[in-house]
Amino acid sequence: MSDQQEPASTDATGNTPGDTSGLGSSAAASWGAVFVTTATTVFLAELGDKTQLAALLLSAQSGQPLVVFAGASLALICSSLVGVVLGRWLARLLAPELLERLAGILMVVLGLWLGRQAILTLPNFS
Amino acid sequence: MALPLGLLASTFATVFLAELGDKTQLAIVTISGTSSRPGAVFAGSATALVLASLVGAAAGGSLSSLIPTNLLQLAAAVGFLLIGMQLIIRSLASTETPSE
Repeated sequence: MSDQQEPASTDATGNTPGDTSGLGSSAAASWGAVFVTTATTVFLAELGDKTQLAALLLSAQSGQPLVVFAGASLALICSSLVGVVLGRWLARLLAPELLERLAGILMVVLGLWLGRQAILTLPNFS
Repeated sequence: MALPLGLLASTFATVFLAELGDKTQLAIVTISGTSSRPGAVFAGSATALVLASLVGAAAGGSLSSLIPTNLLQLAAAVGFLLIGMQLIIRSLASTETPSE
């Protein structure tokens, strides 16, 4: 199946629809802007996440942190590949507006969930 | 000393399964699904994940004392909310002016 041409139609604000690319960028997002936005969001969300703990436990237990790091990194790269491929598949499946709305709602829910989790585990400064 | 494949495989399986359906991966699906730069999304998320596990592996047990992880997660939560809001606003805008 040949690679489908990305519809480059831009709406009035010159922003290609279906382009999230971080916060309020008007021009079509540059590769760098999307890279930085995704990287910071994922990095922040990942710290303190359970994957971290899994890696920690294994590295402490095995005494071979390098091997553990290699295994964890491979797994994380594969899982982000799965995520991206799934996202692109959804983008082909659903109408852009619908996907955007669903995606927006999911991100807000994730944000609320993450925020609640963070607040709940705030050490109470007694 | 032969490469301990067992350890490599067990780490891979543990982390991959832990990550499946995890909120970070959901975010990656969402961002890549609504972005015209899936390559950048993949590069950004893969780099971030590897860096985060590097920090985790390096910090050993003292991660939470070193980095106020829940403050970072609060920042991530704000990031998610902002991206989510922007997506919702754009999806509302594009339904009013149906793009051709």
